[in-house]
Amino acid sequence: MERQEIIDGIVEILKTIRTIDQEKLNHVTEETDFIADLKTPSTEMINIAAKAEQKFDIEFEDEDIDDLGSKVKDIVDLIIKSKASN
Amino acid sequence: MGIQGRKVAVVGMGGVFPTCNHLEEFEHKLFSNQSLIRYWDKALAHGKNIRSHVAGFITEEEAHLKPVYSTLVEDYPETYIDLLNRIPDIHLATADIGSIWTMLGAADAIKMAGWSTSEVQSEQTGVVVGSGSCGNEIQRIAWHSFFVLGKKTRFAGGHNVDRAMVYREAANLSCFIKNKGVCEAIGSACATGLGNIGYAYRLISFGLQDRVVAGGAEGTALESFLGFDGMQVLSRGFEPHESSRPFDKDRNGFVCSFGAGIVCLEAYDLAKARGANILAVIDNYFNNSDGDGDMFAPSFNGQRRLWQGLLKNIPFKPDVVKVHGTSTPTGDAIELLSVVDSLGDKGYHIAAPKSQFGHMLGAAGAVEFITALLMLKRQEVLPCLNAVNLNPEQETFQTTSTWEGSKEPLAYYRDLLQQQSFTKEINSITCLNYGFGGTNSAILISRDDQ
Repeated sequence: MERQEIIDGIVEILKTIRTIDQEKLNHVTEETDFIADLKTPSTEMINIAAKAEQKFDIEFEDEDIDDLGSKVKDIVDLIIKSKASN
Repeated sequence: MGIQGRKVAVVGMGGVFPTCNHLEEFEHKLFSNQSLIRYWDKALAHGKNIRSHVAGFITEEEAHLKPVYSTLVEDYPETYIDLLNRIPDIHLATADIGSIWTMLGAADAIKMAGWSTSEVQSEQTGVVVGSGSCGNEIQRIAWHSFFVLGKKTRFAGGHNVDRAMVYREAANLSCFIKNKGVCEAIGSACATGLGNIGYAYRLISFGLQDRVVAGGAEGTALESFLGFDGMQVLSRGFEPHESSRPFDKDRNGFVCSFGAGIVCLEAYDLAKARGANILAVIDNYFNNSDGDGDMFAPSFNGQRRLWQGLLKNIPFKPDVVKVHGTSTPTGDAIELLSVVDSLGDKGYHIAAPKSQFGHMLGAAGAVEFITALLMLKRQEVLPCLNAVNLNPEQETFQTTSTWEGSKEPLAYYRDLLQQQSFTKEINSITCLNYGFGGTNSAILISRDDQ
């Protein structure tokens, strides 16, 4: 699965989170920071992770979620890693 | 022992009510003797597994809300869209239906109160709002995901706690209006709505706050309905508009309903100084417990002590008694006989608004307090709908040797209970509410010019 394909999937998830400014989703890159750039409430991060598990048919380890960085590339890396190990 | 505190005014009211778009429609329907009770499709869908099929419910569409269903848990509304843009998404994300109604009612009440932003966001402004249930709808679906479907806890999302915690209405409202004073919820079952208003009154009277937004909410939830249906205490066998029939001899249970009632209380001197429209003055609030060890049965002695506490040092009697009047067989009889024990059988009338919209559980006391404010404003008494036939025979408990109250049958007090609203000079009103656990609450309000 290509990284851009994963980013597109993440953007689709972010579109379902109403507390994120939807206009900012037009320019999401790997360097976009969920907290600093998208102002994502911390309580929504777990929703994003759970929806990513569902969308990409994977299961994250709890430790990986605990250590997850706040940039888009961090969750892209985790999705690729999880796909390889699942 | 009573403490002479500051005088407290009611300066705003708002809420969300069954079949009504706004407070004005609620007022119109009540005083034109209409019923807000309907067959409930959600209950009907379960056929014989549910005894009662009527309720005073409010759909999401009626509140101009659109649920956003989770992709992770079936039928789980993870948030709502406010189609009228009254509440920002950040606050909708942390709110269940009852909390949303609380914010909507509070917005209207604060607007009516005329409080400035700096007054609302002051350390002297508190929030005291409660509910009778505990996020039942939110919890059930999330727990089903974990316990039955075996999903990870995170599949229920990050808002399971804030949308279901005991003081969720107060917490969400406080975040919405950004007050800096107290933020709490009082819980006392079906006395919750009035209990929160009474506590708010004390906060101001005792000088701890200058303003408090107070009330109760009970979000539409079949889960809340089911518990009472299982207890066999809900009304059945009547058409919806005839189902809630307080004091009628054929009554067989209450109608489970939902809604929210929010009021703004303010230190009287402050309200007067800024020229506020004072809806009522609170003369006293009193609450107590039966003390008889019985979770459910109403207590004549408990209610008699309630009246004594309420009217202590009060030199007048109310012109109207807004009763709890649930339409349950024993509760109504004990309540009527305790009222006449305290006030006699003449000189006042009884209003039973549950006859029109059912029993809103944790919201009941607050919404019914609003009906009292409306009666005071309009100088009209609300009816006891469907109180068609009062029992001409003594209640069984009246024939026992230990009974200390009136021996007259309920029919003897027919003149107190009118089946249509009517005009009358009303200077003061008492509101009564009781709850499981033997808790009793009463408040006395008067016109400002008294």
